[in-house]
Amino acid sequence: MEIPFIVNARKDTGLFNSKVGIWLFLASEVTLFGGLFSGYLFLRLYADYPWPERALPVLPGLINTFVLIGSSVTVVFAWAALKMREWRKFQIYMAITLVCAGLFMVLKGIEYNAKFGHQAVRLQGGGPVQDNAIVEGHLHYAELNDEGLMVEVDEDRKKDDGVFKANRVLVKASELTFVLTRPTHEAYVKEILRQAGSNHKITLAESYRVIDKDELNAGKMNRDQLSNTEKAEIAEKGEELSIDLLDKLEDAYLEARSHDRKIRTQFLAASWDWIRNEKGVEEASTYVIEKEIWKDRRAEDAEKIKILSLRAPSEVTFKVEPVEPVEPVEPVEPVEPDDSSFTLVLEPGDLVKKVNVGDLSAKLRDDTLVSGRVLPSPVIMGVDALDFRTTAQRAEVEGLDPFPVIEGTWLLTHEAHHGNHDGHSEGSDADHRNEFKKIWDCHMAWLRAETERLEKKDRVPTLNDKFRVNWDQILAYGGLGYDAEKVYEESKARTLKRSGLFDLDGFAGANHKIHGKKFPHLEIPRANVGFESTFTPKWNTYYAIYFTITGLHGLHVIGGALVLGYYLFFGRKMYDSNPEWLANRVEVGGLFWHFVDLVWIFLFPILYLM
Amino acid sequence: MADSIKEVKKAKKLYLFIGTLLFVFTVVTVMVASVEWLDFGGHGFDAMDATIGLCIAAFKATLVMLIFMHLNHERPMVYFFYALGLVMAFFCMWLIGWSISDPIEFGNESYSDGFYDPSKPATDVHGR
Repeated sequence: MEIPFIVNARKDTGLFNSKVGIWLFLASEVTLFGGLFSGYLFLRLYADYPWPERALPVLPGLINTFVLIGSSVTVVFAWAALKMREWRKFQIYMAITLVCAGLFMVLKGIEYNAKFGHQAVRLQGGGPVQDNAIVEGHLHYAELNDEGLMVEVDEDRKKDDGVFKANRVLVKASELTFVLTRPTHEAYVKEILRQAGSNHKITLAESYRVIDKDELNAGKMNRDQLSNTEKAEIAEKGEELSIDLLDKLEDAYLEARSHDRKIRTQFLAASWDWIRNEKGVEEASTYVIEKEIWKDRRAEDAEKIKILSLRAPSEVTFKVEPVEPVEPVEPVEPVEPDDSSFTLVLEPGDLVKKVNVGDLSAKLRDDTLVSGRVLPSPVIMGVDALDFRTTAQRAEVEGLDPFPVIEGTWLLTHEAHHGNHDGHSEGSDADHRNEFKKIWDCHMAWLRAETERLEKKDRVPTLNDKFRVNWDQILAYGGLGYDAEKVYEESKARTLKRSGLFDLDGFAGANHKIHGKKFPHLEIPRANVGFESTFTPKWNTYYAIYFTITGLHGLHVIGGALVLGYYLFFGRKMYDSNPEWLANRVEVGGLFWHFVDLVWIFLFPILYLM
Repeated sequence: MADSIKEVKKAKKLYLFIGTLLFVFTVVTVMVASVEWLDFGGHGFDAMDATIGLCIAAFKATLVMLIFMHLNHERPMVYFFYALGLVMAFFCMWLIGWSISDPIEFGNESYSDGFYDPSKPATDVHGR
């Protein structure tokens, strides 16, 4: 049977089949993106933090807009070429469209990559608003020295063994306690064993024993009277940590637990039968809830359940030991406990909650408890932006003038870091301000000039102007030796060098490869690290919605390119047999492509310019 | 829609013109956001910039739909599909708005007029 309206449109609707399909599909797409745009709108209107306004570098977005508009023109030209039966031209226009799609995705990749590699830390501290200053920049790298402490290393060595990003939490681990019901140990166990290396072994601290069910059923009812030897030994003290061992212990624990559960259910059922016989079905439920008689019965049950159940331990503890036992040099002095432990390097995201230096344990996401001592674990980074907008917002909530509050933050008041990149050295008349205070003082000078300039136009600086110091400003202030007076003069004369819209430097954000040495070095003690993240959905709702919408849009670009590519590379046969049919298909594929362009037309101003 | 070769040739000129218009209006959008003498409203981003930016975007989108997507040649049925999508999109928006008008979740002072106001004390979801 021949399907009607594949090539020619139906008279009443004016549409051929696939066009009906694509328009229905596009209607559903409008709903999908409409929902996401409304998500953006409401996240922004109800954000309880300063929204990152005009936070993205515009140039990549602008080029991508041009690329998509250009490809919209070429795709419609490709369709026109088919209509005029010009196969060669169709090929050229379609190929340009595909190149545009590729270019779009490459630019998107560059942008995403810059976000993934860019770190933000919200600081915490005392004061009326708990600090809340934000620093942005690139993490430096570190490794462990012979004492198992963190030392910074050069970025060139970032791919070396044992080198890690300088935001890790270091724990001198002497004991590890695993919760047997968590099925997620594997990755952590592998990592812990890798880090323990060949110098340390991790062994079971106590033998893991479970009462034998047969022994129990054979009449030895009192669990506590069973000697250790009568319990089934699942694993012996001293066995080395492995995933297989944990699996074995987990199986034993789960079996024992299900046995205990059966016992409890049996007793509950028996008690229920008893009270039902005693009081009748109608009244029984009130008794269950209220009366002492039921509670007494359950208390008796509890005693019996205790005797009959296996009560296997749900946690197992492993000890960290050196492979070669440390021989005390002088037997009189006790061996330092640290000698037997090793430094475990943990990603902050692996920890259930924040730890501070000196804490005696840290808990991993699978509830594994690492006992030992948390070592100094500063976050070390090259800073390319300071953002006090949150501090200012919180200060205003408290009814305080934001500027003195900002002046009192840890960032601007901590002791100057010596040996930093501007060659700062201490002398008798040394400037005791740290580098960030100098930057802030320069920024205040710039703001003064900017405010005076805007006042003449009856305008005021924005929150961004006031409370945020961008990477290009840091470089400009640094270029003038952090001399506030010079910054004021140059700002007033409008000669202060700042990054322009079309500068390739800073194409996708601050360029640490070029300017790395000029960005101030900051070492943040763990206690001052409030929240840290790269610029991913974790950082805030802006980046969450940014990645959701642009990611979905990117998938549409890829999908559209695949369909159009299919017409280009496999369309010749259809062109020879029924060119009009191919033209219809390209038109439908083109409709989808225009829709992708249409979404970007809204995305670009909303995400990059507002 | 262009069906004869002559019409297609004519339409190609239109496509090129519309493409150019889209380029130009993209540049205008960026200029409104970055060039000071084109910065309407207050200094920096504000409601005026949002309105202008979105109006230009809506205008560009209309051009794409009418010309590139041939909506100017389609019969009402397509408009019906499209309207259906828009109605659903606004429905989504209304749903979120509706959830935000929930007095239990957002019934605290800092959201009292429906928008977040940092100068008013924030309370938790139970109004404490």
